[in-house]
Amino acid sequence: MSAPSDNLGMSVTGLVAGYGRADAVRGIDLVVGRGEVVGLFGANGAGKSTTLNAIVGAIPRRAGSVTVDGVELGGPKVGPLAAGRLGLALVPEDRCLFSQLTVAENLRVAASSTVRATDQVLQCFPALKPLLRRRAGLLSGGEQQMLSIGRALMTGPEVLLIDELSMGLAPIIVRQLLATIRQLAADGLGVVIVEQHVHLALRYVDRGYVLRRGEVVLQGTAAELTGQRHQLDEAYLGAAMRGSA
Amino acid sequence: MDQYVLFLLLGVGTGAIYAGLAMGLVVQFKALGLVNFGYGATVMLAAFQYDELRRTGDVVFPWVGLPSRWHLGDDVASPVAGAIVLVLTALLGLALYFAAFRPLRAASSLAKVVASVGIMISIQAIVIVNFGTGARRPTSILPDESIELFGLALPRDRLWLAALTIATAVALWALFRFTSVGLATRAAAESERGALLSGISPTKVGAISAVLASVMAAAFGIVSSPITGLDPSKFTLFVVPALAAALLGRLSSIGLAAAGGLAIGMLQSELLLFATKPWFPEWARSGAIDAIPFVVIVACLIATGERLPARGSAGGDPSLLSLRRPEGWPAPTVWLLIGGVGIVVTQDQYRVAMISSVIGAIVMLSFVVLSGYVGQISLAQGAVAGVSGFSVSLLATDAGVPFPFAPLLAASIATVAGSLIGIPGLRIRGAQLAVITLSGAVVVERLLFNNPDLTGGIEGAKVPAPSLFGIDLGPRTSEQRPSIAFGMLCLVVLAMVVTAVVTIRRGRLGRRLISVRANERAAAALGMDVVRVKITGYALASFIAGVGGAMMGYQQSSVSVSSFTVFVGLQWLALAYLGGITSVSGAFLAAIMLPGALLQTLLADLWELGDYNLLLSGLAVVVTAVAHPEGIAPAVSNRLAGLRRSHDLANVAIHPLDPNLQG
Repeated sequence: MSAPSDNLGMSVTGLVAGYGRADAVRGIDLVVGRGEVVGLFGANGAGKSTTLNAIVGAIPRRAGSVTVDGVELGGPKVGPLAAGRLGLALVPEDRCLFSQLTVAENLRVAASSTVRATDQVLQCFPALKPLLRRRAGLLSGGEQQMLSIGRALMTGPEVLLIDELSMGLAPIIVRQLLATIRQLAADGLGVVIVEQHVHLALRYVDRGYVLRRGEVVLQGTAAELTGQRHQLDEAYLGAAMRGSA
Repeated sequence: MDQYVLFLLLGVGTGAIYAGLAMGLVVQFKALGLVNFGYGATVMLAAFQYDELRRTGDVVFPWVGLPSRWHLGDDVASPVAGAIVLVLTALLGLALYFAAFRPLRAASSLAKVVASVGIMISIQAIVIVNFGTGARRPTSILPDESIELFGLALPRDRLWLAALTIATAVALWALFRFTSVGLATRAAAESERGALLSGISPTKVGAISAVLASVMAAAFGIVSSPITGLDPSKFTLFVVPALAAALLGRLSSIGLAAAGGLAIGMLQSELLLFATKPWFPEWARSGAIDAIPFVVIVACLIATGERLPARGSAGGDPSLLSLRRPEGWPAPTVWLLIGGVGIVVTQDQYRVAMISSVIGAIVMLSFVVLSGYVGQISLAQGAVAGVSGFSVSLLATDAGVPFPFAPLLAASIATVAGSLIGIPGLRIRGAQLAVITLSGAVVVERLLFNNPDLTGGIEGAKVPAPSLFGIDLGPRTSEQRPSIAFGMLCLVVLAMVVTAVVTIRRGRLGRRLISVRANERAAAALGMDVVRVKITGYALASFIAGVGGAMMGYQQSSVSVSSFTVFVGLQWLALAYLGGITSVSGAFLAAIMLPGALLQTLLADLWELGDYNLLLSGLAVVVTAVAHPEGIAPAVSNRLAGLRRSHDLANVAIHPLDPNLQG
């Protein structure tokens, strides 16, 4: 494993989380360094979104710890506000934009004092520039995803967690977004993306984790994972194949 | 001509308090996602506190029981008094936010409406306990000498109030438009999760808005109460014209809400002048001004009902009260048996209390049908029952209609009245429905019930003792004691109503009512006529309430307005909810808790309750809405079912995944 442990960033150990009586995530360890893009892969129900939500405290952690730049995120009940202060920003699957507010207001609302200004976000996503006065609810899917990432950047994160980056988006937009994310990482941001298009994503990420039934079953650099195509497919389809056998 | 202009301008006095409340209602709706029916009461409390502090030097705290007065000094200057009262109001606003509004943010609209009605009742009771029921007129704060304006002698305070209203509207608008707090509030109102992920604390911005709304309206209440007067039975209901104004602003525009408030105040004042003219219809003189808000509300909701922002409830109510499986016959039978035995074995005041409980159960069942089954909200069941109560008097006394027909006819009249109030509600739901029914109830009370020709004035409307086949079924025996025969009559009527309700719930109509409640679109997609189902529900509930109202008429033998006021209707809804609005057992439980029914008679024997009963029911409702949104009866039966089941559950563990499936 090539996790750069000396390079500060986010480190998650023994994460357990779930809904009701069931644990959807059962003891996940995950590291992302500054400047690194890490992919989180797995079939539907593998626990990818639960992992991200539990890391930022949008759902409670049942066990495990999260540290950012060596600072531990408080107890298991700590919510997204504390995670945000520590430098974690989540771009949720449903984007959670304020559809009645304008693009500019959506960005401004998340601005904390220490941060990248709107200008820097607009440099990443020039497509938003002519739309600043438009209501977020009127944007296209790609523009909404840009705005959602942009809003997360406004909070001045150290590590950005993006859930279902490409959902509902045209392939060309997805490639643009992935390229932008690479650029952000080059500037020192740590990024975790949850992505269904594994083979596309593997071209952009440094490392990847493959989840199955709430556990990491496969991990490695993008090159290693690309080389383990069989195991990768097995992780996605294994249960189904055995179930039907 | 001058006179007309003068009255129009004088109306700015009441208009200002409407505007202040309306702006606050918009702020609360934006930030907290609820329509606060208790808002007028909160503001009234502040105005009373201020007046008391100026008069006696006593700071009066918003509670009862504990010592609530603290003598500050003999002559408290008005800025000091104002500051103290506004601080107290801010604290009360915070307390209400954390105790009720915040926990209820994701609750059903029924729970929100009921909780804010509970707050209204509680604060109203606190005011009455601390300051008495009498009206008072505080001394002027604003300069009120006349100035000459366009040849009219106009009191200067009206100009001040107009200026204050406009300045506040501009300030609030700017706050929401340009400041970061305003932006955060708008954001948090739309998506709480989005706010959290953007680093905004929804709790904090909600608290700020709650305090802002309380303090702002309290200030309006303090400066305009010398003009409007402070009357506990009226001031609380200033929330109705304020709601009309807020709806004019579509619950989102502060400027329109303020303008609407001023306009309604001015229109009412003008109408007061018209009412002195000989051509004005005699019957409408006393209540006409109260019809204005109702007309405005109906017009607004019909014109824009579909387009009103439905915060937090887009795509159906997020959290309907869960409905139990169709109830069987055992529970109602047991309740009826208890009632029958109770009527026979008790005497005097306890028999009266038993009979009141039985009649109350009829009324409470109307809520089970309307809110429990059809999912609609009515704050007007008091008025509906009252229409029947007074009708039975007119029919039986003046028209000589004999017993079983008079109450049936009266209940039919109530059905028409209830459906009339409900028809505007066909296009709207939730809190807006509560608004329209509340304003309808106010109109019925002020326009019909307060009309001595219809309701007999102070003496009340006489209702003759019922008799059937020569048997006297009157409420009192020849020795003037409560009669068993009348009790049994009520019990039989109740049994018929219960049978009808349970049968309907178990049958085809019940399934239709419930599917409309659950999802109107899905019901329509299955070919149901949603409008017809809803009207049926309204009619049914109104008829049941009417039967209850008629029986109340017979029991009292002289119907008085005080039995059917707006507040009575509100307390009914509150108690129906407390008992458990989705179940027949809940209705029985609620009936026992009604004023004059069993529980309060028992309690009154033990302690001197007086005005506290209103406070207790108000508080109990708020607590129930927050802690057990389904009410007492379902909570108890869930607990029982849980006990029965816990044994089985203890043996069931969630099985770990089948090891064969793991990779």
